[in-house]
This record gives sequence, structure tokens and C-alpha cells, in this order.
Amino acid sequence: MTPLEMGLVGGDFRVGYRLQKTWDTTIAVAFFCGEVGAGLFFISLFTGLKSGFLLGLALVAIGKAGGHVVHLGRPSASWRALRKVRHSWISRGLASIMVFCIFGAVVTLDAFVPGQMPGALVAAASVIAGAAALVITVYQGLAMSHSSSIGLWSNGLMPVTSFAYALLGGMSVQLALGWGVLSPQMIDMLHVFALGLVLLGFVVVVSLIHAAKYGPEGGRKSVELLLSGENKMMFLALVLVVGFLATAALLTLGVGSRLLLFIAAMTELSGYFTFRVLMFKAGAYDPVFTLARPGRR
Amino acid sequence: MATWGMVFDLRRCIGCNACAVACKQENTLPNGVFFTKTLTITTGEYPNVTKTYVPTLCNHCEEPPCERVCPTGATYARPDGIVMVEANDCIGCGTCVIACPYDTRTILEGHHLKDGLFGQGQLTAYEKQGIGRFTKGTTIKCTFCHDRVDGGLDPACVVTCPTEARIFGDLDDPNSAPSRLIRQHKGRQPLPEKNTRPRVYYVG
Repeated sequence: MTPLEMGLVGGDFRVGYRLQKTWDTTIAVAFFCGEVGAGLFFISLFTGLKSGFLLGLALVAIGKAGGHVVHLGRPSASWRALRKVRHSWISRGLASIMVFCIFGAVVTLDAFVPGQMPGALVAAASVIAGAAALVITVYQGLAMSHSSSIGLWSNGLMPVTSFAYALLGGMSVQLALGWGVLSPQMIDMLHVFALGLVLLGFVVVVSLIHAAKYGPEGGRKSVELLLSGENKMMFLALVLVVGFLATAALLTLGVGSRLLLFIAAMTELSGYFTFRVLMFKAGAYDPVFTLARPGRR
Repeated sequence: MATWGMVFDLRRCIGCNACAVACKQENTLPNGVFFTKTLTITTGEYPNVTKTYVPTLCNHCEEPPCERVCPTGATYARPDGIVMVEANDCIGCGTCVIACPYDTRTILEGHHLKDGLFGQGQLTAYEKQGIGRFTKGTTIKCTFCHDRVDGGLDPACVVTCPTEARIFGDLDDPNSAPSRLIRQHKGRQPLPEKNTRPRVYYVG
């Protein structure tokens, strides 16, 4: 029996593939909100879109932080996660969320009530909040790829995927919110960037799957679960077709229509959320197979 | 200072899982939680079928990925190599469970501490005296029975194994039983490609 012929064994006392169950939908929601919120806020720093600041900050402060609090076994002790900033991406992520919320609130407040705070303070807060937002867009991918246990995640493309999805999600929401608020030239420019990010995201996701397929045993099993198992339709239809192809088509056709841009944002976010959920659902450990050489005793 | 490790002799293991039961007794593990398991792999087709048994537990790695990713420092390695979890510091984020390639860690959920071994929502007297030391929402794992080891005894799974398939000792001592077995039988580590440098070896 080759490793790939082995089935999923769950909690059975058999050698085979085990799926990770620890990070589930609550973490997927947290990652989704964090990346879209941070991406939206980051782009709003360049466009000055007030609703982008507010929604981005809310997604991170409420959606992401809330998702993590619900997931934690001991949320009351979560402050302890700031202890190992030098070693752990979870620690770095928590620190950047806190910095982002504090300085992002300053920037948002200034956007809605301008002139109440010194210009230098707002400028410094913008730089710090932007840097923290950038960390939030990539650290989740870095946390997932940091250890080699799950082949699908243990890949340098995972943080790139996070970054591309964060910017794409932020850009698509920015287009929907900014219609009629931002200048037509700005909308045109965001359009071009959004289409480029759709292309980048598609290539990165396909490359991630390709790398996992020819990587460790667990990664191959994960790809099998994504492309031929019960998740096949969700991955192909929602992540690839709706998330990328439909979004690209709607963005191309929707230059003059707010409704189409809104639908494009919805299709992009649907594809992205499905991707996040499936990455957790299909994460498989390698079987302890190298020791189980068959032999007669 | 000794560096503790274990050797599994696959030629001797008969898959009885007495080790798993002894571990559950020693550590008062809740229903559904195991620190050690003897896994089975079945090869061939009837009538030529072979079963191989693969005992597993925390490998107390030299480069423990669980320790590296822990955001609070709750997971740490003692000077003698035993990887521990400080429950007071653990926040239950699950990052260590994800990072362990051997899937040997468990997060204690509420039902673990309530269901009881018979799954009827009632704890036996035996469970009541042992389960109280656990903290809901934290990670637990094999500690090589560190209390026993500190007192000069072998882990419970080792003394229980009826075929002496589990051999425990000081890996730094070239004359210890595990060191000799590893040297003579070219002991293999589980999933060496993960670069965790386990202190658990397999021979046979």
C-alpha cells in the first residue's frame, strides 16, 4: 500500500492521514476579517476613503479579534500571547492588531473629524497603522507556513496568498464603497489594480496547489481532498470560478455600474472565504508511514 | 544530566495497547484523550495479510516545533529534554497542536472534563481525584511521566508493556539500553524529514 492509497483515519488506532481539527471556521472568519479589513484600510490610506477606514478598522477590531477570542481556550489569558514576539507569528500578529487598532482609530477619527489633532501625529499614526496593516495581511500566512506538519500549508506561497487575497479583498470592497465618492480617475486606477490582483491571486492559488501536489504526503492528500473529494465543487466552483473568473468578468464589465462592482466584491469575498475554510478543512498531517514498513515477524 | 528518550522495538510490539491503558490510568486522562497510541497498518490481501504495530507518543523533539510557535512560552523543554506544557500560561490557541507533525497534543474542551470515562456525564471517584488538576481550554500531552522519571522510575507505559517493546533511558549514556539498541539496530526516527530531531526511535 502506498501512502496515498491510505484513507483518512480520524481518531482510529490506524496509520493513515489525519486532518487537523484545531483551527476551524471561527479561525477562518478571523483570518478573513483580518485580511480584508487590513487590506481595505491599507488601500484607504492612499485613496482617503473614510468609509474604507471605518469598515477596515471594524473588521479587524471586531471580526478578527472576536473570531480569535471565540476560538481561544482561555480568552481571559490572551494577553500572555504578547510574550514571545521574537519567536511566534501569533505573538507578532497580536501585537500588530493592537498597534493597528490604536493608530488606526486615530487615523479614522481624523478622517471623520479633521483638524482636531496635530498633523504630525496623524501622519505618524498613518505610517504606523499602515505598517501594522501590512503585517496583518501577511502574518497569518506566515503562521500557517511556519511549521512543516501540514504539507498544504508548509509553503512559502502561503503568506503570498494571504497578501494577494488581502489586497484583492480590500480593493474590491474599496471599489464598491468608493463609487461616486472617489474621483473617476481614481476609480479607473483601482480597476486596473483590482484586475491585476485577480490575476495574481489566481496564479498564486494555483501555484500553491501545484506545489502541495508535488510536496509532502500530507500535502498531496490535501490536494486530493480539494480536487476530487467532497470539497471539489466548492474549490473549483466557488474559489476558482466565482472568486476569480466571475470577479474578473464583473470588474471588466462593471466600469460604469456600481451594482456590478458591488456584485464583483461579493463574488470575490465569497471565493476568498471559501478558500480560507477549505484550507483548514483539507489540512492533513503526513502519516507516520516511514516506520511502518510491512514485514513478517 | 540525563537526556531522556525511548526506543520502540517493532519486532516485539503485539498491538495490545496495554501501554495506552496504563497511560490513561497514570495520568487520569479524560474520555477520548490519549497520550500514547499503538497504531496498526494492515498490508496484503486475504489470505496473506500482515499487521504491523506502530506505537506513538510525544517524541520530545530536540527541535520541538510546538515550543517554537507557542506565543506564550507555555510549552518548554526541561534540561533533560522532556517537553512540558505549563497550563497556567497556555491560552488554548492550538498553534502547538497544529505545529506538531505527530498529532500528539490535545486541547482539553469542556466535555472532556464533564463526560466521564463512561460518557454518562458522571465522573467516577477515580476521575474526580485526577481530573481536577487539568485546566479547561489548555493543551495537554505526554510528559514521559515526568513525576515517575524524577523519582527514578520508568514511565507507566514502559513498565506495563508485556513484551518490553518500549525501552526508556538516557540517550546521552552510550551504554544505556536505548542507546545500545539505536546503535546496534540503526534506530530510525519518525518523519525525519520534518527536522524535529525526535528523541523517540524505532528499531526492527
